[in-house]
Amino acid sequence: MYRSSEFDGSAAAFMGGGFMPSQTTQPPDSSFLPSSKNREARCLLALTVKQICELSSNDESNFVIDGVEVTNVTIVGRVCQKEDKTSEYTFLVDDGTGQIECTRWVQERIDTDEAEGILIGKYVRVHGHLRGLQGRRFINVFSIRPITDFNEITSHFIECIYVHFYHKRIRRQGTTTQPQLVNSTMNTPLKGYQTAPPNQSSAYSAADGLNNIGQMILNFLQQPIYLANEDGVHRNVVGQQLNIPMDKLMDELQSLVENGFVYSTIDDDHFKSTVNA
Amino acid sequence: MDTSKPAIFVNGGLLPMHVRKRVRTVIQVLGSDRGTVIGKSTDDHQLTVKGSPPSVPLTNFVEVIGIADSEKSIQAEIWTNFGDTFDTYSYNQLCQLANGEYQLLFL
Repeated sequence: MYRSSEFDGSAAAFMGGGFMPSQTTQPPDSSFLPSSKNREARCLLALTVKQICELSSNDESNFVIDGVEVTNVTIVGRVCQKEDKTSEYTFLVDDGTGQIECTRWVQERIDTDEAEGILIGKYVRVHGHLRGLQGRRFINVFSIRPITDFNEITSHFIECIYVHFYHKRIRRQGTTTQPQLVNSTMNTPLKGYQTAPPNQSSAYSAADGLNNIGQMILNFLQQPIYLANEDGVHRNVVGQQLNIPMDKLMDELQSLVENGFVYSTIDDDHFKSTVNA
Repeated sequence: MDTSKPAIFVNGGLLPMHVRKRVRTVIQVLGSDRGTVIGKSTDDHQLTVKGSPPSVPLTNFVEVIGIADSEKSIQAEIWTNFGDTFDTYSYNQLCQLANGEYQLLFL
């Protein structure tokens, strides 16, 4: 179960493998110029061939898309041509938005085996380094492997959309976004009873169908005084303060515990919010 | 066969927007009759796919790439077996996105 506030700020959560730079390593300001050559900037981007062919470039090596430097890319498409040269295989891959030449240099037996297994007409996933020459684009392939689960085609293109949206949004919102994103991903302590971040509260209720009473209890437990106390709060205190009958309170607490918002501490009567725990 | 043209993701509802253009879609095969395959699109429209299916038997889900020759039929050039299970919901959502807000990534 993801809280949406955590999920939308973190590309790494989506990418799974952490190929993209995290929030902290990718400030959308001047330190992330296309010319910066640090390793963090060299992320792997899921792109459509059309995006690759339309990349702006001031020379043949610096490609930029949505404000991000493009070095390594992944595409999913159908092999429509294959050429076997002595030290390399070239594949023409068509992903439905365009075609791009992919070169797989072969040195060892394992490389040859991989390339041999790729047949014309098959869908493949390609990881590689984007290169340009005389206005043409091609990919120096690190790996090319057949698609076995065709849902990967769908998920690849959805990922392309996500990557585009992610970089566009970061750029459009500019530096003002950063503190919010950091806040929402890092579970910073709440400043007071009434000031629970609205995005967090709404995420709870939207994602998990918390009712008003559950939300009220959660807000109560998230007061700094109770967050700071290792023992949490006795249920009687919660019941008295919020004026909730004990049986109703226990039902709600049980549901909060089951959903991971609250846990019991020193005994079954003391409860604490999982925020900042 | 001109493979250089892009093939846009479509479902049954989006097909009429692309008549005479190159499209790609996934159908659930319902049956076939003399070189014509009847299938159900990911948004539950019935589509007719013409052309010569591959020699291997079709699986439950098949991707076809070809020219939309009417609002309900495709002249297929390429058939790919997608297996017996496929997430049609996600594919359908992708069709919507690829024809809407994010079309610039595709066409």
